[in-house]
Amino acid sequence: MLNITTNNKIKRVLFIGAGSNDFGREAEHDAAIYQVMPELRGHGVEVFLIDENPYALSLESLAATVFWQPLTVENLKKVVHDNNIDTVAPLFGGKSSLRLWAEVVQSWVHGDGPVPNTLGLTIDMLLKVNNIPALTSLMSDNGLPVINNYVLKAQDEANELLRELQLPLMVRALHPNQTNTRHVVDRLDDFEDAIHLAKLQSITQEVIISRAINGLKEVSLEVLRDFRGNKMQIGASEDMDPIGIHTADSLSVSPILTIQDQLISQMRDYAFRIADLLQLQGVMHVQFAVDDDTHKIYIIKVSPYIDQMATRMSLATGYPTMLVAINLAMGVALEDIVLPHNFGNNTAMMEPMMDHVVVKLPVFPFGELAEAGVQVNRQLNSVQKSIGTTLGFGRTFIEALEKAIRSAHFNNASFSPTNMAHINDDELIQQLIHPQDNRVLLLIEAIKRGYEIDELAELTAIDEFYFHQLQHLHKLEEEIESDIDSIRSLRRGKKYGLSDGLLARFWHTDFNIIRTLAKENDINVTYKAVEPSAGEFPENARQYYATYESENESIQINEASVLVIGSGAFRMGDAASGSYATAIAMSELRRLQYPTIIMNNNPSDATLLPHLADKQYLEPLEISDVMRVVELENPKIIVIPGNRRKLIKALRDLGQQVMVLPKEKHTPNGPNENQSEFALNIFYDGQKIYPINLTQHMAGEIRIVPQVAELLHSISQSRIDNPGVYQIIWYQDTIHWLKNVDSSDIGHNSWLRPMPFGQIAYMTKVMQIPWIRLTVRAALNELSKQDIEMLTTVNQLPIVHQLSMVAADVNYQLHLQPSNVIDGTRFEIGVGVNYYER
Amino acid sequence: MPNKEVLDNASLQRALTRITYEIIERNKGGQDLVLVGIKTRGEFLAHRIASRLEQLEGVKIPVMAIDITNFRDDVLNREDSLGLNDEEKTNIANKNIVLIDDVLFTGRTIRAALDALIHIGRPNTIALAVLVDRGHRELPIRADFVGKNIPTAQNEKIKVFVQEIDGRDAVEIVH
Amino acid sequence: MMQRHLILEDGTVFQGLGFGAPATTFGEIIFHTAMTGYQEIITDPIYDGQMIVFAMPVIGAAGIHAEAYESVKPTISGMIVHDLAEVSVNRQRRMNLDRFLKQHNIPGLYQVDTRQLIRHLRETGPQKASIVDYADEHAIDQLVATVLTNKQVQNTATPKPYANPGRGRHIVVIDFGLKHGILRMLGDYDANVSVLPYTTTVEEVLTLDPDGIILSTGPGDPRTLPESVLTLIRVLQSKVPMLGIGLGHELFALANDAELMPLSSEHHGMNHPIQEIISRQIFYAMQGQGYAVDANSINRKKLFVTYRDLVDGAVQGLRHREFPAFSVQFFPDAAPGPLEATTVFADFFETVEDYVEHYNQ
Repeated sequence: MLNITTNNKIKRVLFIGAGSNDFGREAEHDAAIYQVMPELRGHGVEVFLIDENPYALSLESLAATVFWQPLTVENLKKVVHDNNIDTVAPLFGGKSSLRLWAEVVQSWVHGDGPVPNTLGLTIDMLLKVNNIPALTSLMSDNGLPVINNYVLKAQDEANELLRELQLPLMVRALHPNQTNTRHVVDRLDDFEDAIHLAKLQSITQEVIISRAINGLKEVSLEVLRDFRGNKMQIGASEDMDPIGIHTADSLSVSPILTIQDQLISQMRDYAFRIADLLQLQGVMHVQFAVDDDTHKIYIIKVSPYIDQMATRMSLATGYPTMLVAINLAMGVALEDIVLPHNFGNNTAMMEPMMDHVVVKLPVFPFGELAEAGVQVNRQLNSVQKSIGTTLGFGRTFIEALEKAIRSAHFNNASFSPTNMAHINDDELIQQLIHPQDNRVLLLIEAIKRGYEIDELAELTAIDEFYFHQLQHLHKLEEEIESDIDSIRSLRRGKKYGLSDGLLARFWHTDFNIIRTLAKENDINVTYKAVEPSAGEFPENARQYYATYESENESIQINEASVLVIGSGAFRMGDAASGSYATAIAMSELRRLQYPTIIMNNNPSDATLLPHLADKQYLEPLEISDVMRVVELENPKIIVIPGNRRKLIKALRDLGQQVMVLPKEKHTPNGPNENQSEFALNIFYDGQKIYPINLTQHMAGEIRIVPQVAELLHSISQSRIDNPGVYQIIWYQDTIHWLKNVDSSDIGHNSWLRPMPFGQIAYMTKVMQIPWIRLTVRAALNELSKQDIEMLTTVNQLPIVHQLSMVAADVNYQLHLQPSNVIDGTRFEIGVGVNYYER
Repeated sequence: MPNKEVLDNASLQRALTRITYEIIERNKGGQDLVLVGIKTRGEFLAHRIASRLEQLEGVKIPVMAIDITNFRDDVLNREDSLGLNDEEKTNIANKNIVLIDDVLFTGRTIRAALDALIHIGRPNTIALAVLVDRGHRELPIRADFVGKNIPTAQNEKIKVFVQEIDGRDAVEIVH
Repeated sequence: MMQRHLILEDGTVFQGLGFGAPATTFGEIIFHTAMTGYQEIITDPIYDGQMIVFAMPVIGAAGIHAEAYESVKPTISGMIVHDLAEVSVNRQRRMNLDRFLKQHNIPGLYQVDTRQLIRHLRETGPQKASIVDYADEHAIDQLVATVLTNKQVQNTATPKPYANPGRGRHIVVIDFGLKHGILRMLGDYDANVSVLPYTTTVEEVLTLDPDGIILSTGPGDPRTLPESVLTLIRVLQSKVPMLGIGLGHELFALANDAELMPLSSEHHGMNHPIQEIISRQIFYAMQGQGYAVDANSINRKKLFVTYRDLVDGAVQGLRHREFPAFSVQFFPDAAPGPLEATTVFADFFETVEDYVEHYNQ
């Protein structure tokens, strides 16, 4: 067989970034692009990138020529033409990049010259992947089990289909005259009525029938394929929640625990056949609906590009997915891929195995919104509502679950054993059938109240294995609660992933007491490596997670290391900017040659890029988790985002040297519709304040005021705790972009706050001055003479930029159905960029 | 009606692999073996089999291609049109030849190829390998190595696609 | 659950909780990295008498299923896992692992630091082990003194011929400790199957007029089997298409003058890339092997190598130069494991068809 894209044809490659963050789009694509661009350079290729997201790390990469522009067909075409791009790489930017590139290809006219190749897919397949009906019929024609829709008019046609497809069936109207015409038919008796009703609801009296799959298990496989047609499975997970709940909102578990080998092998075979059909050179995520009763399998989604599953599996197994993916796309055969020295010789072509459990929990925005008085639809369904993800690693499901919950909540207060007690039985049943974000707690509550496992499994369509596990957890907690200060209980609790904080709550004491008690009784944490051979071969692992077993594998990396605490799951208003800021800080620490350690648990976070740290701890970020790592690694400095005030205080109380990345606890509100928010932006290097510039923030947009910023005397004398970028804020009643701000307004009803990370990212890109790096240098007394000179004159730099930062167009209505308008600044999910004059 | 795929990419590869193994079995050691592909697709198949043999045994087996479009029994004999050079012609003498074609149908093509080979070179033996045998022989010819027997109706057409010219590997019944 | 211990011949002791039967057993301990198919693995006769450590952290959640047995009765000597999943027995899961092991008097141990154990075993290689209540000196002395059986094939192979009728080609399976997956695959081809004991004779086989012969999988060291088996293979391979699998592959190699060598690290799992040399295609299959055919010992006039493990280079398949006879070290029946390797059966049946056709002419 021949390559689709042979190496020698690829000279100038353009990556298309994923664009603004959104529901289902965290930093995974940016991180992937940031990681693979230098690898591509290693193949002797000239690399280009276009993206609009101010939080994109990859836009600051030195490996590529970057274009920070709105992602439009016109801009993309222009970049392709102006730079003689021969190959475009949309697969790393995920679905939105793929769609945009397909649009460009479709609008390509003869005069545009030859269409550039698509890295990893033929043009034909690119267009098929972007067209779901075409993709579905391609699979169906090739004997793959997809869910077909049958359109029919007469009852006897329906009867034929009933025999062929079997119950349950989904019946709905074609060309409906009202919005919701879906009926799931479970019983034969209801079938005729459903057809009749759907016909009435259809303008053309036509009915669509398909096999109903609600309530089946949802399974994801991640596979890859090289140009020779070699295929490999690199990850698998099952959702605890059944089909009907968006997979991003489901609790999901790797490896697959409750499904037999035969069914998994069958799914693997289907995924491989799809990869062959698409002639893919890269990685692919395939989602299945599985009925383990009848052994029926349906293919429900095919994503031959980087998505959250790809990043999650990479972290869960230790398999270097992105490095392999770019090699496959470049036409390197699986057996010829050369990996960096810290991987085993054959890692690329050995299917990754796991000897630990990884639980993924979604993080929902409901709590924060409710605090601000915004009610939303909390019921989980097929539309994604979660905005972040977090992983828990453990040696058992319970341990991994406990750690994922703690990662998602930062502390155990929101996961108290009692916080479902208020709910009455009717509500409980209702919520079991129509689950909400607190689903796990609800299930535990139901077990507490004595519901039978088979009853619960029936109600929720969740595999009974999970109820046995939750029952086990419930019993464990009861035993611990009634067995105060018992070392045996402490040992069991730690083994199952309960935090010192939670144990302290059970025993009405302080986490430090628990920590000391554990230490005195030799209940020690053991860190295990996450590596893809599951112990079969020695590997130089860099990823670790904590458990309580007999052998510890992690040893101190260096006497003078820096421990960086990540931000955990993405939240509203925090979004990807936290990931950006921390990742840049890590990059700067590496540049300054500090041995760097990261603790984090968000698989979509750029801080978990393999080359940004010497070691990763995939852990919750509570004080007890942090302290155990601190005791082992004994870092010189701990770097923490400023919003983690309690953690900062606790660490300082324990005598740790902490370096704060200045940040407010909550993202500030945006100005109201008649107002503008103004900021005098300043940099504090630990001794001196330097004025930077002035910005105006109005209607979801931030621009730089074209005026030299000066400091008032009163400000230049203020004291600030930590070095960093700050802003002096005031409001003014104006709805016009001002060219001049009256400086006498400053200091009047104004206040100081750290510049939000998002604005720092914007300011860094628009000014070409690395503010986070300067912050790190200032905090470590590493500012150079040139740095100081630059800071002294930064306010005098000519203001030439014409780019503003704008709130992304996020469809809150579709995802959340909020009761009132959501403040797009405080609850920001993503941002983009735009030209002043548009 | 759409074309019906009777061999997909993977089965086509496996068929070539099996033919290769059987050639090894029948020609112990592959000494004096020469592969002769009948143009156009037979030539590509011959090269595939040769590269398989090389992969396995580390030896290069000579591959030739003959063009018998002007050498059919229903056309005037013109051996010059075979497309072999003089060196190739002498190389056939006393060799064990495996003649390779994509589809075996009436047998007339093969017969023409046999005539031509015997006429120009006096090989030691000639064996026949085909990817597809579709039946309907008009001459007493049979293949020694068959990738796949595909019974067909007279009026059907079998089309072999090869990556080198068609961009994919498959065998289809064309309507 | 009761606290019990795993002791190794080298004196290492692991603590855990007992499940399954409370029996004390001895066996050779090996580790398995497959993440699916625990039921198939523990019922596969190739693990007769062995103790299996699973790298997969949670075992048992998929239950025990009627269609996933690889033999009627499991004969492993023990099972060591990290976490044992409790599941009810109901319509979907007809049996759970704990009860299943109890029924067959096999002990299990869980809450063991299996990762530590595997990292230990990968250095030491397989060794004798025992699951006991008390890990005292007496237990270790007893373990050291125990001589493990080398009669695994005798223990697991059928003593009598039996048939698994079908309407297709007649395939004779010579049983060295056959796993059901092979019969299932033959069933997919509607083969008419006769399973014969490995003590059968050339005459007995040929009287049945088979279209093809399969040398089955089986446990242990093939060199402990009588020479008559090799003679049988030598004669039959020249008369009827033959496929050897696992132990059958090792015997096929021995019958054709090749030698076996112990693998530096045993391999039990389904994650190694196996390459078909002729096409360079890579695929994955279930592997369970302590021995490999020594590539240097192969008589190139008789055999050539068809498949290789790309991780350790071990020979994974052979083919006879003169006869339609070939063999694979891995398990192409995909029970458990990837389906890619099942094409070996397709190759076999195509060879059988070719042979039948030539024979008829």
